[in-house]
Amino acid sequence: METAAAFRLRAAPKLVTGVGVVHLVEMTVAGLLMVFVILPAIFSFSLLSPQFWQIYTRFYVTGLFGTFFYVALALPLSAVIGFLMGWARVSRIRIFAWPSSLYVNVFRGVPPLILVIFASLFGTSLIPQPILDRFLAGFRRGDIAVGIAAIAIGMHSSAYQAEIFRAGFQSVPKGQVEAAQALGLRPWQGMRHVILPQTFRLSLPPLSNEFAALIKDTSILAAISGVDLVAKSRDLLGILPASGLPIVWIFAVWTVVALTYFVITYAVTRGLRLLERKFHTPGLEGISL
Amino acid sequence: MIRVNDIQKHFGALHVLRGITFEVQKGEAIVIIGPSGSGKSTLLRCINLLVEPDSGQVFIDGVQVNRHGIRHEWVRQQVGMVFQSFNLFTHLTAIDNVTLGLTRVKGMPHDKAVQKARELLARVGLAVKENAYPAELSGGQQQRVAIARALAMDPKAMLFDEPTSALDPEYIREVLDVMTALAREGMTMIVVTHEMGFASNAASRILFMDAGKIVEEGTAEQIFQNPKEDRTRSFVSKILR
Repeated sequence: METAAAFRLRAAPKLVTGVGVVHLVEMTVAGLLMVFVILPAIFSFSLLSPQFWQIYTRFYVTGLFGTFFYVALALPLSAVIGFLMGWARVSRIRIFAWPSSLYVNVFRGVPPLILVIFASLFGTSLIPQPILDRFLAGFRRGDIAVGIAAIAIGMHSSAYQAEIFRAGFQSVPKGQVEAAQALGLRPWQGMRHVILPQTFRLSLPPLSNEFAALIKDTSILAAISGVDLVAKSRDLLGILPASGLPIVWIFAVWTVVALTYFVITYAVTRGLRLLERKFHTPGLEGISL
Repeated sequence: MIRVNDIQKHFGALHVLRGITFEVQKGEAIVIIGPSGSGKSTLLRCINLLVEPDSGQVFIDGVQVNRHGIRHEWVRQQVGMVFQSFNLFTHLTAIDNVTLGLTRVKGMPHDKAVQKARELLARVGLAVKENAYPAELSGGQQQRVAIARALAMDPKAMLFDEPTSALDPEYIREVLDVMTALAREGMTMIVVTHEMGFASNAASRILFMDAGKIVEEGTAEQIFQNPKEDRTRSFVSKILR
């Protein structure tokens, strides 16, 4: 017999929980500290020259937007490809499973730097001329090549994400499918209402790891002609007078780069963590993929 | 109501069902017993076509269901199934487990489905647990939700595949009570179980299966007290303790 006392009401899941608020505060404080305390302290040498600040800001902002742009290009695409490849890998249909397995093994097995080099050398020739003319006419060839290289980094990441989603699919017990069938749900309905929701919840935690890795991997684009934080910082140090450049400047510039990456990845993983909380389901957490 | 005619099933080299024939009348509750590996579960699964028989016919209400032109989804709406391991949808609350089939298979509006689900949960004694996730329920409660979920589709018959085998002893009673009530109300049921109490109380007939065949058939009294076949006798003596 159930008594009313034994029954506890489930509150609607809150997106921003108590812990979430603490972390938001943490992040804000860290950001303010960085801008108003750490940066001025690091650059106190150069405060004598207001010109330096102007130049520095210009380089930093350009680089930051570059990084954001590459992430925006690579990350959503990688998640979509990763999901589809992971799904295909568990498919019983051979013509889906086999190519996706090949895809995962190839893109996982090649270092992202090599992928980026290939993409920058031959990437533009993969795009049909009509598309280049119609949609990408406003861009320089070199920039298109970097864009393709960014997508290549996304594909490298998508191989790992495919494995995450595959594990997610495979950890949904077979009995769930049977129950869906026994109710009279059609196969696609069972997929849509039973398997996919569970796959997503199970895949979310390891996915945030992979997103953090992808964000940092975009820095590889600095090795070709990418315009990102790393590239702009390198260029900045290049135009500073080489003679008598205090080593501490070099250290400072790279520290800011490192901190920036840290803040971005921290924000993204934190955001996904909130999403995890929102979708919190008893019985579906604590399963490690 | 349900008629099974000379069903054969192989899993690879394994010959699981070797010509099964039996009939269940409307309102009858049948219990199937037998040693593990005798094909009881496979037989149940052949009836709602979770497993497709290699040969033989399955009839539900006079309609042969294992033939071309009959959708599996339609067959499964005719007969509800309850599993040994409950198989409640982990990501859905108790009430959402019950409404899913109503809204997605029957196309019922959400508010009507909720109303019906509440009635069913009340019927299995779980009205207060409608917002609990399966992981927050005991095994017995989960199995009762699973019964409500199957009943929601208004099935013509119910199949129970060892519904109490995965339960801790203290939860077996509550599930059997729901099943007994269901049998009393005239639900057509096929139950694979070794619960002798339920078999004696609620079953109109008992089938004893061994090695893919129905060895003996009779009332609870006949099977438990007076088995004709040696194999039945030796099995019954083991489970009656």
